[in-house]
Amino acid sequence: MSETTLASLSRRSFMTGSVSAAAAGPLMATSAKAAAPQAAASAEPRDLSAISLRINKQPYNLALDNRTSLLDTLRDHVGLTGTKKGCDHGQCGACTVLVDGKRVLSCLSFAVMNQGHEITTVEGLASADGNLHPMQQAFIDNDAFQCGYCTPGQIMSAIGCINEGHAGSEDGIREYMSGNLCRCAAYPNIVAAVVQARDETRKA
Amino acid sequence: MNQAAPAPKENMGNPVPRIDARLKVTGQAGYSADLPTANIAYGALATSNIAKGSITAVRLERARKVPGVFDIVSVGDMDGIDRPKFGNTGASSIAPLHDKTIFHDGQIIALVVAETFEAAEEAAALIRADYAEETPSAGFDSNGTEMEPAAGKSPLFKEDVKAGDFDAAYAAAAVRIDEKYSTPTQHHNPIELFSTTAVWQGDQLTVYEPSQNVTGWKAELARQLKIDPANVRIVSPYVGGAFGSKGPMTARTAIVAEAARRIGRPVCCVVSRMQAYGTQTYRAETRHRIRIGANKDGRITAFAHEGWEVTSRPDPYVVGGTSATGRMYNYGSVLTHVSLVHADRNTPGYMRSPPETPYVYALENAMDEMAVALGMDPIEFRRINEPQKEPIGGRPFSSRSLLKCYDQAAKAFGWTKREAAVGSMRDGDWLVGMGCATAIYPTAAAPCAARVRLTTDGEVRVQCGSHEIGTGVRTVAGQMAAERLGIEIDKVSVEMGDSALPPAPVSGGSISTASVCSAVLKACDAVRAKLFAAAVAEDGPLAGSGNAKLEMEKEKIVADNGKSAKLSDVFKTMQIGAIEEYAEFAPKGSSPEALKKLYAGQSEFHGGDQDKDSVKYAFGAEFVEVRINSHTCEIRVPRIVGAFAAGRIMNTRTARSQLMGGMIWGIGQALHEATEIDKRYARYVNRDLQDYLVPVNADVKQLEVILVPEIDHEVNPAGVKGLGELGNVGTAAAVASAVYHATGKRIRDLPVRIDHLIV
Amino acid sequence: MRPFVYERPASVSAAAAIASRFAAESVPPTEADAQFIAGGTNLADYMKLGVAQPERLVDLNGLGDRALRQIEVGEDSIRFGALVRMGEAADTGEIKRRCPVLAESLKFAASGQIRNMASLAGNVLQRTRCEYFRETSWPCNKREPGSGCAAMEGFNRQHAVLGTSDACIATYHGDFAQALIALGATVEVEARRGMRKIAFSKLHRLPGDTPNVETDLAPDEVITAIEVPLGAWSRRSRYLKIRDRESYAFALASAAVALDMDGDTVSQARIALGGVATVPWRARAAEAALSGKVLDDDAVEAAAEAAFAEAKPREHNAFKIPLGKRTLVRALLETRDMKV
Repeated sequence: MSETTLASLSRRSFMTGSVSAAAAGPLMATSAKAAAPQAAASAEPRDLSAISLRINKQPYNLALDNRTSLLDTLRDHVGLTGTKKGCDHGQCGACTVLVDGKRVLSCLSFAVMNQGHEITTVEGLASADGNLHPMQQAFIDNDAFQCGYCTPGQIMSAIGCINEGHAGSEDGIREYMSGNLCRCAAYPNIVAAVVQARDETRKA
Repeated sequence: MNQAAPAPKENMGNPVPRIDARLKVTGQAGYSADLPTANIAYGALATSNIAKGSITAVRLERARKVPGVFDIVSVGDMDGIDRPKFGNTGASSIAPLHDKTIFHDGQIIALVVAETFEAAEEAAALIRADYAEETPSAGFDSNGTEMEPAAGKSPLFKEDVKAGDFDAAYAAAAVRIDEKYSTPTQHHNPIELFSTTAVWQGDQLTVYEPSQNVTGWKAELARQLKIDPANVRIVSPYVGGAFGSKGPMTARTAIVAEAARRIGRPVCCVVSRMQAYGTQTYRAETRHRIRIGANKDGRITAFAHEGWEVTSRPDPYVVGGTSATGRMYNYGSVLTHVSLVHADRNTPGYMRSPPETPYVYALENAMDEMAVALGMDPIEFRRINEPQKEPIGGRPFSSRSLLKCYDQAAKAFGWTKREAAVGSMRDGDWLVGMGCATAIYPTAAAPCAARVRLTTDGEVRVQCGSHEIGTGVRTVAGQMAAERLGIEIDKVSVEMGDSALPPAPVSGGSISTASVCSAVLKACDAVRAKLFAAAVAEDGPLAGSGNAKLEMEKEKIVADNGKSAKLSDVFKTMQIGAIEEYAEFAPKGSSPEALKKLYAGQSEFHGGDQDKDSVKYAFGAEFVEVRINSHTCEIRVPRIVGAFAAGRIMNTRTARSQLMGGMIWGIGQALHEATEIDKRYARYVNRDLQDYLVPVNADVKQLEVILVPEIDHEVNPAGVKGLGELGNVGTAAAVASAVYHATGKRIRDLPVRIDHLIV
Repeated sequence: MRPFVYERPASVSAAAAIASRFAAESVPPTEADAQFIAGGTNLADYMKLGVAQPERLVDLNGLGDRALRQIEVGEDSIRFGALVRMGEAADTGEIKRRCPVLAESLKFAASGQIRNMASLAGNVLQRTRCEYFRETSWPCNKREPGSGCAAMEGFNRQHAVLGTSDACIATYHGDFAQALIALGATVEVEARRGMRKIAFSKLHRLPGDTPNVETDLAPDEVITAIEVPLGAWSRRSRYLKIRDRESYAFALASAAVALDMDGDTVSQARIALGGVATVPWRARAAEAALSGKVLDDDAVEAAAEAAFAEAKPREHNAFKIPLGKRTLVRALLETRDMKV
């Protein structure tokens, strides 16, 4: 257990192996009860809502408290713990995910508001054959992290930054990556990684 | 090779990529709160909103009514548990749920456990307490504080160092300065939130919590819970930034464990960032008075450093950086004194370079002031006062490459282009200033154990209960084994962060690389010895090479007589599949009990100023350029160069990254970071990352780290000096000096902000 | 966080109807049982902190009207749908070219992620970040009327020097609103009783004795659009934001400036100040001081003095007065020197 990684736990094995684990966070196969995105009104504040999410191209049907953030949904109810909680108040960027290709803070978004959107987390980047996304490889090549905790958020934000067209210059990258705090302060290496991934993506 | 992977110079290892890099970029590295646990319940803390007084009632009724709440652990519910202790592994003696006294703002008054995170949070927010309030003392200028001399109050700070007759030398000095400096309260704010997950299986307790000291915590938690340490396991495989904050165990760990025991379910409590300010440790504010006397030629004849530090009412936490500042230069005479000021605050704790960051800031700012007073170049002033021996005990430095660091950093920075006159450099609307300062950090190591296994297929497994907090220790430990055993790094796995592994010291004080690598080295050498003996034995593949010098390379044993044998063939003759060796390392000069203490979870540091024959420090020189807008006075650091010498560099990539991070920390300490206290109530005000500012990406532009080659056989078997804390020492003084150079304003109170400069 | 009912209406009228059903007389929108959410960057934060406690959350992202998500750049005006995200508006080339102060005030706000989430209407309604307001254990007249103001004699470095009252000195931290008030924008709102237009300068209320009443809006009024008139001043405009760090921080002081110049002479100056006031702050006295003047050092100094003539410092924020003046001076000079 000391070499504890989540590598051995594929999403599927986590889900099938840990459904009882998720009983506290109601992870239920409630596809029959899944609400349409447009009409998810619950009657009482404490009623759970049936919520359908698409995460990393997989559908998930969940019964959740309306208060559950997208971040806690990913971590506690879907088992995707790559997305990190660093402040829970939109101040650090560690929880950054892509929603319909745009980077957002999953801590400030209620899961119930994300139905009908395509959510991408760090777990959804590498291809099925295990090849890393160019941004992931660039982060390794440029040592763009130390403790690694803010890294998933940095990587998702960096992909969003390039998608938005804000990675044109190093100054631009610095400015548009400033919503992701790195307390280890790998910033210059993060900028170098974004430049590398941007250039590779352009070539490809 | 890119900028992140500098080409190794003399006595430097290769910039091997981090062996856990892939896990970290794919979200698969399991930090404590990520680890899957079945049937989990969620915990949330309620904390006090007064700093001094006693609790007359805790009102839990509304919280209990929240659907999903299982239990609330509150004041009086810890009676069967021993109180936390302040000391080697414990953050504070304050026992929040044991008694009704409130010692500080944000003290835990209850832990709610519920079916969901949302229910736990909702209920915790509904808890109220009634208090008999008293007027608290917030800190230095408050009424009601208690001051005492620090020397002897902590095992880590035994004496106020002194040498010669300061008073006489100072009185006789041709040039004198006498100034006061201060540093603010700071919180570590690692991006990973603090958390505890406690899981009982029968009488076996496993705690998942980000920790810099799993072995120490195991012992301390077992003591508090009154159970056999063998039944406690602390698991912390990856730590999301620590910087000292996860070194001492706080009261929460036992509280969560007790809650899990009570409800018969695992409990996970992730502490909110706001609550971390009062429930974890922090760097307390400091004040300094420095007097320097010098001859007109710049030779210092007298140096006095007085320091004042805030701590809690019950605990004498002291950093006492005069031990380092008193030995920095060839002063002639030295007088130091450190005082503790007890206030109604939580107990402070280690934060990256605990003594050096505040004390060297004061010293180096004063050194720049003295250089100005003497009309000397600040580098030249330091050169003139470079010591051959440390001034307190007259011992040599095991190695000291400070002037080399200055030379190389100054050259890379372009110091010769600096115009010395204050306010003389300008770029359009921006005032330009340049400054430099010395970095110093004591080199120590502590006893450490490691287990290394090598299989016939050339697979290596290294096991050591140290901690990967971002330093890269997992990588360099693997590198050490790979080099020593002649195996490619990708066939090496390294297990850390678990108290079930061979014990290691606290990952603090920049000791990890030296301590862990020395233990791994010993274990590898034991593996080698067995292999070599078998190889040259009569039935071995290298029979007859008994006198040859043997080495391990590319999964072979190679003799200097030209013969070699495949590793698998040696294993074949031994008729075994793997060799596993367990080794213990203790630094030279350690106490006889040092190894015993290791197993009891107590880290005995050795090094720095403790040895008779020499003192051991790592050094660096940092140069910064600041730009200050002539209208609006915002201060930016567009350029920073640091040169550092720290013995053997195991991995130029991880070393550079650590130093880079330290330098940027230094920028934050110079310009951004401060925990603000409402002095009326002794309460922290800016308790989040919105208002506690740390540097962002845009704050850092050009940054250069120069690794200066240095060989030091004295420090430890690995020849390694720690550098994780070296990088942020001195930076703030360099910035303050550069601000002075740009504006003519000497700012002595950190952080340097617009407020100081605008008129 | 208080549990809430979640609703996602498909039309503005349906959203207004829900809110209307739960609206009580004389309760401001921020204290209403039913509250609107769009990006959530401000509201979700304050719900987590227990500052906002809606029992019903009305999600506006399901509203079908496409105009709510569109930016129309016309000859004489720019019209922003209320649900346009800050990031999209900041990146719109026409806006950067035709009225830079708008784009800059958005670009320098928050972070890339937050700008992708936050709607323009939600952004202008963002509530103060006063530390004492955010943390519910402190007394705060804005959060809990009549409980007192902890900031007044507490740590108040971030706090306002303009527009303060004896009840509240909390700063309005938004940036975009400074551009809008300087440019004379109009806000369009819809309720069941019909639509109305509010001059942006009337949207926010000074704290006075009722700092909890932050805007002119009723709880069931939905902002549908923000309209910004363009004029001779639009192209020569910029937003200068001064903060402790280079990015992702609130303004210590900021200035939104738009100038209509006749040679060296100011025909019309439009000025707003951020980070220093309790509400979006149009600096009319500074504008008047510049009108018809040659825009030289003396004129900008005089304007800055006029802008802060009424400023009231507290213990830790006195530096904001000289800083605010220097910020305005620099912004005016830089705007003057823009090549348009």
